[in-house]
Amino acid sequence: MTEPRLGDETGGTPGLTRLVHAVEAVAMGDRTGYEEGTLTVAAAEAAALVADPALAEVRVSWASPGDPTRIVKVLDAVEPRTKGPGGAGVFPGFVGPPKPQGRGETHVLRGASVVTAGYLPRAQEAVVDMSGPAAPLSPLGSTHNLVVEFSPAPGAQWEDVYEALRRGSLALAARLADAALDAEPDAVEELPGLPAAHDRRLPRVAAITNLQTQGSFKEVFVYGRSFPGAALPTLLDPGDLDDGAVVSGQLGHPSLKNPTWMFQNHPVLAALRARHGVDLLCAGVVLSPEPVDSHNKELVSAHAARLCKAAGFDAVVVTKEGGGNADADMALKMDALEELGIPTIGLFAEMAGPDGTAPSIVVPPTTATAMVSTGNYDERLDLPAVQVALGGDRVDVAGAGALDAMVLPTAVIYCSLSPLGWGRLTCREAA
Amino acid sequence: MTRVVHYINQFFAGLGGEDSATAPPTSKEGAVGPGRKLAQLLGDDFEVAATVFCGDDHAGGPEVLPDIVALIKDAKPDLVVAGPAFTSGRYGLACARVAAAVAAEDIPVVACMHPDNPGVDEAGLAPVVASGEVARQMGPSLETLAAAIRLVAAGEPLTADDGRIGKIPRRNVTVDATSAERGVALALARLGGDREATEVPLPRFDQVTPAAPVEDPTKALVALVTEGALVPDANPDSLESTRATRWLRYAIKGRDSMPAGEYRSVHGGFSTVWANEDPNRILPLDAARQLEQEGAIGRLHGEYLVTAGNGTSVGNARRFGVEWAADLRRQGVQAALLTAT
Repeated sequence: MTEPRLGDETGGTPGLTRLVHAVEAVAMGDRTGYEEGTLTVAAAEAAALVADPALAEVRVSWASPGDPTRIVKVLDAVEPRTKGPGGAGVFPGFVGPPKPQGRGETHVLRGASVVTAGYLPRAQEAVVDMSGPAAPLSPLGSTHNLVVEFSPAPGAQWEDVYEALRRGSLALAARLADAALDAEPDAVEELPGLPAAHDRRLPRVAAITNLQTQGSFKEVFVYGRSFPGAALPTLLDPGDLDDGAVVSGQLGHPSLKNPTWMFQNHPVLAALRARHGVDLLCAGVVLSPEPVDSHNKELVSAHAARLCKAAGFDAVVVTKEGGGNADADMALKMDALEELGIPTIGLFAEMAGPDGTAPSIVVPPTTATAMVSTGNYDERLDLPAVQVALGGDRVDVAGAGALDAMVLPTAVIYCSLSPLGWGRLTCREAA
Repeated sequence: MTRVVHYINQFFAGLGGEDSATAPPTSKEGAVGPGRKLAQLLGDDFEVAATVFCGDDHAGGPEVLPDIVALIKDAKPDLVVAGPAFTSGRYGLACARVAAAVAAEDIPVVACMHPDNPGVDEAGLAPVVASGEVARQMGPSLETLAAAIRLVAAGEPLTADDGRIGKIPRRNVTVDATSAERGVALALARLGGDREATEVPLPRFDQVTPAAPVEDPTKALVALVTEGALVPDANPDSLESTRATRWLRYAIKGRDSMPAGEYRSVHGGFSTVWANEDPNRILPLDAARQLEQEGAIGRLHGEYLVTAGNGTSVGNARRFGVEWAADLRRQGVQAALLTAT
């Protein structure tokens, strides 16, 4: 039915087929279903999927593009996806068993997202506006978001509350996508697997994605397990990320977060795939920890560079998660790769102060020079008043009620400076 | 006609050098000193309406700056010019801070100094253009400055091609391609041989060129200076223990050491127990006197300079350094020992 893929012809691994169902409208109803672009959710069923002894109450509601709605205290976002009834292996380690995925077909509800929002003690407040100037700065500003709010059970540990929300939102995302299993897809997207080692027709370009590894509330799950700070870098098939092998458990730096939604739609892999077979080969993604001590940062960086060299990568795009400390991981890796003769590009957010004149990069590379700016963390934004707030009734960082007009640093807008490169912000020198 | 107000220091205002470095802020109608040549270069569309000047010793400090800015605003400028300050540190800091204060009030402004001047990074949102290194290069420096003034007056952007130096504010803008797409395009550009392409220039780090070695230490006048916040026991001048905005001087003439109980450290950045048990650990006067007696050094300077280096802003730290250097040089000191904690 589908044409053979580049990888198949040349001995690479098989790829993944995405069956895309566009979500153009949403509703609450008696039955969960997807029909002709409308996703209907049965609120009680959705809440029941998230229910857990650590949660006293779960509420779901829709926030759609253009609504006068602000979502505050955003925790994570997940794109609804499934590989068959019950998920059939999607989100390995959580919904499915911990097995490699990235093969066969995956149904995607594009334009919808499951969003958890509410108070957790270690979370830095993240804000999404569904209309106004901040809406285009976040991926959630243009998706129909099923917002999951919650009350913790009396005496529940916060770690258990967060774990319940993570499992629940992944199960809910798989369930929503199941509703589209029988629908005709709006688009069929063939994604390449990993190219064969001998495939040198075009330059092999890969992504290195650093994952935050600082324990509870500041960790990332790979196949359901917290990726250890002591791990060495490892190469993954990009399709694995599509199928949810990487899940966020990281609550710091709202603008510099990589939610689960972002790993499912990894923007660097998307950009590499778009040019695969045209002027490059998408050579895969290396996951690397961000250890907290400098010896291990150096160790991991040196290993990542050796792995990339052995895998025959001709160029690499490196990304991070988190604030200034994560710049050191970037800089060390970039320098280590350049020393092995691999041209390296780093995606950095700038921390140039409210007026844009402070030094931009906390730890810049010394030999590598090619950096992309995802925008200035500190520049202020004026947000208008809104009519509906979800996730809480305050934005504490602004000292304001959640409905109020407020001035916020770009740093507070969810994913606005996406380290994985989702956004369209950059910095230019002013006149 | 664009009304220009020009800020210069006491030297270029004709008051004299170090002996006039404490001159108070003053305003004079019309162009003074280098302002006359500047007015000629600017031509008939501009008028240097007033010149404001001040002694270098305190012009960059927080006490006098508001008075300077008030004098400038009294002259109702359409545009303010500061410098050229060349490599003169105190003058450069004053120009930068005057320019920053004026820019913060949305008055167009240009400062001018050498790229190595410590003032370059203190100009805030105000643009700075490069001057030569020394006053001998006044002519070409004023030409750069005049061209920059014309651009700023016309509301045109000032770029590196116009001699602009220092921090240029970086602003968020939205572009068509995602950061990831731009990253991949940059990777292909690198593979195509382009080693220059980047969206973020590598930061400029301060490079301090060490002074030439002292020719004959046995004849040198040597000063002791410290950021260890060592003060007379009662802290009579209230030195801050953190985020210092000031530095102080205390006499050590006739003393052979720093006795416990008479001096103490008020530094907020470390436990001061060991320092206070023997204050020579912060200011090694005992050892320095011994070197003096042995003839290894010529003579010890009669006072020490002190501040608290704890959470100090880079701007203030720069100012202290510039002021200390000027103060020590004026008194004939040839070498200084800076103890840091």
